[in-house]
Amino acid sequence: MGYLDKKRTDALNKAKRERTIGNLGSPKNPFDYYDREYGTMPKDSKRAQFQWVSEVAYKNVHRIVTRGYDTTELMEEGYGVIEVLFVDYQARIPTIEEEQMLNYVMILTLEDGLSAPAAISRIVARSKTFLTQACGASIMAFGHAYGAYSAFGNRLDKYLAMAKEEDLSLEAAAALLVEENLYDEALGVSDLMLKDPAANRMIARAEKLGTAGKYIAFMKEVVKAAQKANDQPVDLDMLGATGAVMMDLGFTPEATWAILAVTRSFAAGAHYIEEVEREETNRLGQELTPKEDYDGPADRPVPPIADREKIATPAISTTPDQWKRRFEKMKDVQGSGFSIIEEVKDPSKKSGIKKVGKL
Amino acid sequence: MDRKQMFRRKTSISYKTEEKTVMRGYNLSDLAEEGYSFYDAMFVLFQNRIPTQEEEKMLKYEMGVFLEHSMSPSAVGAIGVSAGRPNLPVCVAAAVSTFGGVHGPGAAHGYMLNKYLERAQKEGKTVDEMAKILVDDYMDAGRPVMGMGQPQHIDSDPRAEPIHLKQEELELKGVYLEFQRAVEKYFHARRKADGRSYVGVNVVGSGNTALMEIGFSPNAGWCIGSVVRGFSCAAHALYNMKKGRAWGASRNEPMVQMIDLSMIKYVGPEDRIVPKQEERQEYAKKQKEEGEYKQWVI
Repeated sequence: MGYLDKKRTDALNKAKRERTIGNLGSPKNPFDYYDREYGTMPKDSKRAQFQWVSEVAYKNVHRIVTRGYDTTELMEEGYGVIEVLFVDYQARIPTIEEEQMLNYVMILTLEDGLSAPAAISRIVARSKTFLTQACGASIMAFGHAYGAYSAFGNRLDKYLAMAKEEDLSLEAAAALLVEENLYDEALGVSDLMLKDPAANRMIARAEKLGTAGKYIAFMKEVVKAAQKANDQPVDLDMLGATGAVMMDLGFTPEATWAILAVTRSFAAGAHYIEEVEREETNRLGQELTPKEDYDGPADRPVPPIADREKIATPAISTTPDQWKRRFEKMKDVQGSGFSIIEEVKDPSKKSGIKKVGKL
Repeated sequence: MDRKQMFRRKTSISYKTEEKTVMRGYNLSDLAEEGYSFYDAMFVLFQNRIPTQEEEKMLKYEMGVFLEHSMSPSAVGAIGVSAGRPNLPVCVAAAVSTFGGVHGPGAAHGYMLNKYLERAQKEGKTVDEMAKILVDDYMDAGRPVMGMGQPQHIDSDPRAEPIHLKQEELELKGVYLEFQRAVEKYFHARRKADGRSYVGVNVVGSGNTALMEIGFSPNAGWCIGSVVRGFSCAAHALYNMKKGRAWGASRNEPMVQMIDLSMIKYVGPEDRIVPKQEERQEYAKKQKEEGEYKQWVI
């Protein structure tokens, strides 16, 4: 389409200038609003046209190629999903032991009972959706507490780098990590697996297969340090075991996060199916929320709109002291967001949230 | 740590205690220790059984060949979402959610096969006879026959026929493969008779046939196919997050970016003046009466 021609542009701008539009003609604006173009930008002929740039894969009419390998040829040669994950994320064919180890991890992370991914999949299913919507939602359930592989892995990398730079022993770096992150959800050590040997069996398997490396070694020191720092018994948990094993297999924290979230989503699909098979759908307005679960303001009459100015409390604060008083007061309003602090960062740099907590 | 149940359901899929996680009766840790594969676990999850080696091999092939598909709606979805730099799982969720009625409609293909197989059984017709009825039903109604054709792989999906061949090689030839092959035969014959170009079987047509043959329901097959694609879409999103430009609109890049302003082609109503509030009622009534707006309603 391109820009509108000058004659029509001038006519439109003239009409608008004469009519005026709210504050748009204000001299405080760093531009003359009534002197602007209409229509879309012409095609950029000075730069190369847009293409989907990828290091991961390409396809043409006759083949699909990932990291140089034709995917049909990979299958014909006897490779499968596990190997393609190494190809997609690491551009290499894994050893047989690495393949066996990732297979082991994926079986262990496939199902986790009615935890968040399965629960959210079932909730979505009740709205009568496609299965794929529910599977997508289950992947969304992976954050920086549940399935916190990005936060966990980036932290291991940070302290391992620190150990190298500052010439610290693994033991000292682990002690520092624990001291600074003892109560973090992504520590990888907790009381969750005290009676379940699965996490430690996974580490033993990695050692038996010869895939254990610096991350497992470091994680063992983290476990020791956490056990020393805790009054209550704690041990390696599934996050710590799977995270360390995956990183020793060469996967980045983000790749680990994605692979294991997707792995869990297969079972979330089964939960979707079972929910549809065994339960009813939910309609808009059907679900009740019992009053006994409500602890907000008591029922009160809605004031007449004519009284609005008399009863309304403006939020405007004109001094930092006023601002602080209101801020503190608002913490009593649950659901307002004033009690939470987050540093939302670009996740491509690290894990995406530096810290999430309560003020 | 508080471990109370967040969500309560009667379920036959799994349970989890402080001691173990059990799926369909099998301790997951024991399943892995015994040397079973992730593909075996899919059979346990969806079918409550350990598969034969041939069935396991078939699933391995099907999932592996479907995992990566470069630029299709799922990868584009993941990359598009990644432009805003949300957490990575959001990009993957978007990718998996792109699978619907057209992109990878495995469940729809499966339901189609089941519907006509049931008709064959009820009406006492052979699989071959019913395949012709299916093709005629769809083509007479001007509806696309599911499992046939792919907009990018225009003269045959590179994954499709090899899946059929693998199924035959593994001697997993059952009613689904016979039916699908017959559908393809009548589909090709009818297009040829109509003077239309050759359209090959696609990966849903062959892959989903294999999945159904080895015992998966239409929805389980759809889950396997669409979720496995999530693995590669995450890689595409991650590549863009780590090595691409956020937002996808920078004018400093040597190549025009995905959502550069020049990529927009607008074909809607032409620029017009916003009515003042005092003009609004009369303006709005006139607009409704004239009805020109109706051509733009979506």
